[in-house]
Amino acid sequence: MRRRDFIALAGSVAALTIPAGAQASPVIGYLGSETPERYSSRLAAFREGLAQLGYVEGRNVNIEFRWGEGRYNDLPALAKELAARNVTMIVAAGGAEVALAAKSATTKIPIVFEMGGDPVALRVVDSLSRPGGNLTGVSSLSVEVSRKRLEFLQEVRQGRNVFAVAINPTSPTSGSQLKNLYAAADSLGLELIVLKAHSEEEFNGMFTAVTEMRAGGLVFSSDPYFAYRSPQLAALAVRHAVPAITQSRDFPIAGGLMSYGGDFNQSHRQSGIYAGRVLKGEKTSDMPVQHVTKVELYINLKAAAQLGVSFPPSLLTSADGVIE
Amino acid sequence: MANSHAAPRASLFRKYFRALFAAVVVPLLIAGGIEAWFGYHDQRARLNDLLDAEARMAAVKIQDFIEGIRDQLGWTVLLPWSENTSDRRRLDTSRLLRQVPAIESLTLVDPDGIERLFVSRIGLNRIDSGRDLSFTPAVIGARSQGVWFGPVTFHGGSEPFLTMAVSGNRSAVGVAVADVNLKFIRDVISEIRVGETGEAFVLDWPGRLIAHPDINLVLRADQAAQQPLQELREAIRAQPGEATAGRDISGRSVLAAMAQIPGVDWSIIVKQPLAEAFGPIYAALWRTGIVLIAGAILAAALAYWLTQRMVGPIRVLEDGVARIGAGQFDHRINLTTSDEFEHLATRFNEMAGELSVSQERSERIGRLRRFLAPQVAELVDRTGENGLLDARRVEVVAVFCDLRNFTAFSANANPESVMGVLDEYYDALERVVGAHEATLISFSGDGAMVLVNAPVPCPDPALRAVNMACDMQRSVQTLLVRWRALDQRLGFGVGLAMGPATVGRIGSEGRLHYNAIGNVVNLASRLCSSAENSEVLVDSVAAAAVGSRVSLVDLGTRTMKGFDQPVPVFAAVVDRIPLTQI
Repeated sequence: MRRRDFIALAGSVAALTIPAGAQASPVIGYLGSETPERYSSRLAAFREGLAQLGYVEGRNVNIEFRWGEGRYNDLPALAKELAARNVTMIVAAGGAEVALAAKSATTKIPIVFEMGGDPVALRVVDSLSRPGGNLTGVSSLSVEVSRKRLEFLQEVRQGRNVFAVAINPTSPTSGSQLKNLYAAADSLGLELIVLKAHSEEEFNGMFTAVTEMRAGGLVFSSDPYFAYRSPQLAALAVRHAVPAITQSRDFPIAGGLMSYGGDFNQSHRQSGIYAGRVLKGEKTSDMPVQHVTKVELYINLKAAAQLGVSFPPSLLTSADGVIE
Repeated sequence: MANSHAAPRASLFRKYFRALFAAVVVPLLIAGGIEAWFGYHDQRARLNDLLDAEARMAAVKIQDFIEGIRDQLGWTVLLPWSENTSDRRRLDTSRLLRQVPAIESLTLVDPDGIERLFVSRIGLNRIDSGRDLSFTPAVIGARSQGVWFGPVTFHGGSEPFLTMAVSGNRSAVGVAVADVNLKFIRDVISEIRVGETGEAFVLDWPGRLIAHPDINLVLRADQAAQQPLQELREAIRAQPGEATAGRDISGRSVLAAMAQIPGVDWSIIVKQPLAEAFGPIYAALWRTGIVLIAGAILAAALAYWLTQRMVGPIRVLEDGVARIGAGQFDHRINLTTSDEFEHLATRFNEMAGELSVSQERSERIGRLRRFLAPQVAELVDRTGENGLLDARRVEVVAVFCDLRNFTAFSANANPESVMGVLDEYYDALERVVGAHEATLISFSGDGAMVLVNAPVPCPDPALRAVNMACDMQRSVQTLLVRWRALDQRLGFGVGLAMGPATVGRIGSEGRLHYNAIGNVVNLASRLCSSAENSEVLVDSVAAAAVGSRVSLVDLGTRTMKGFDQPVPVFAAVVDRIPLTQI
């Protein structure tokens, strides 16, 4: 009699505790295209955003990571893996490839993406104001401003009219960026040399080509693959003495000449906030795609001195960060 | 008895509760109602002022935001285009974009309306593009009014932008046209707090949401969802100068006020949730409610306490009254509540005392009535016994009477007729004795003994006794006429004698008798025995006392048992002796 009572009691206690425990920790599936090391500053910003909504990893939310480690072709499979784990939501951060991979994996699990470029043009969402479907996210202006990079580099390299452009042919935005860059080159009266690279091995050859072809400088199109490898690119730029501009501030900080692009800190933090709001129960279809409007210009005066170039005063005044 | 205890106690509680509830709760209710009414009106007036002030302040903040951009733009239209100042202008515009993040692009137009410089964060810069902008509304508007604000446009159907044009203080400096990203108003609008959770938002002239603390609402640019905000604005416009109740985008009830932002012709609306705005009123109502409940509980507790206080003494009184009612007149109700109950108990105790006295008296009267005529008994009772029944020796007239041949009759007749005869007989005798105010000492069988002049003395006892005896004879004879139908031999005789006798109470407390002892009693008894039917025999003393007032017939002397000498006997002549009827 007593044992039966005890079992009944234990059963009811278990019944009480199980749903409470399950409710307490939702799981975010985080899909990244690179490695945790390359993502570390982005992840910090993302966690900052989550914390703003009161979510702390390990305490009231768990994060399941899947890393593409530079192999963008693996992303759809990784996204499907996350979807199969039945996570509460998916955060697809670090570019259009990741967003598209997540989108292909599920139509039910809410997705918050972080990317540069126009999500409508890339067919990630139907509309910015009302994304519809199961995904929304944050978009920075990095892709749109690749032409500005050409303009800024041209201002630094006054008198040069041939510039090299680095394109990752596997990037979904490469076509539109190249079109933009050609249009910009037209209006600026410049000639473009298009250099394609989609792996690290091709980087060195790219810089050699710039020197060989006597181009005024190298303009990197907006691409996460390039952005996450800013230190390598900076080292190559220094070694080959090539004036170059990329989208990420990591590049001038690592010794490159300059950068112009969206503030990834802001966009990743915003994706953290959006993820928190989804966890709170908001519907992705009610959340418009957020544009991170801030576009930042970073210049490295030391690099300029080594390259024997100088920044015009208008660039110096408008720079958001100057490395001396 | 048990039932009559419970029911009234409950109703007493109900009465007390009703009275106390009315005394405690009704004034509270009235006070609470008045407080709520005036509180509401005061709060409403206060909120009108508060929200109006908040709306104005918020409008000033938004205006400051726009003015700030306008002032910054003003720096770019200081130099005339005739001078060669292009480097200077490039620097100015770079600085402007750096200082004012909300400006996405800037166009500088010369006095001829030709675009000279275009600087953008996103697009390519253009220098001396030569585009003719002189007929664009921005340039025309800025030239005529100094400052021009375009309509709000939503880039990509989502991000709100405002085109703004500023002209310098003279036509030679041209016009600056800027595209301003209105998302940056968010920093201003998020800081505006009305009360605890109140917010502000901005609608442009057609009613589109262009600034809200939740930027998503702006970016969604959902006209249908913004319908409530437009309705709210219409409601405020309908009642200018007053805070208006309405619903916000999430359907919450809010109190809102509005101010116009001049120049751009936007409306800024500040809203506060109704629940918060009228929080003090609700709090007051809650307080009143709690006080009311507390009052009701207090009333109930007081009623219960009072009822309990009442019930105790009432039960003591009830018990006491029940005992007194049951004849326990020596019972005393012991209450020391020093209030009306004690007073009432004292009255009950007094009543019990009086009842006890009254009962003693009625018992005494009952005792006297047994042998005194009723009126004599009353008289004796009124004047007090005062030893009236005590033993003493007085001159009395003893009267004896009995029925002749009754023993033989009673042996043969049925018991009903025997008892019927005796009833009528006693009744007749009692009436006669009563009429003559004599004392009926006893009935025994068919005989009776009556005393005159004791215990109550009367004048001329002999005459009274003789008249009474004659009356007895007359009334019994009337009865006998009927009774003879039952038994021919029935008759009735009376004897009386006068002389001193010892009179007084004889016997125990329970069976008390008044009696007379003496020779005169014996004589009267013997005379009765000696009397024939319809005769009244009188002794010599009584005959002498009566004298000639009653006609007596001297029957000579008769020898009687217990008397040594023959006793002279007289017979009273009873008028109309119904012998003739025989």
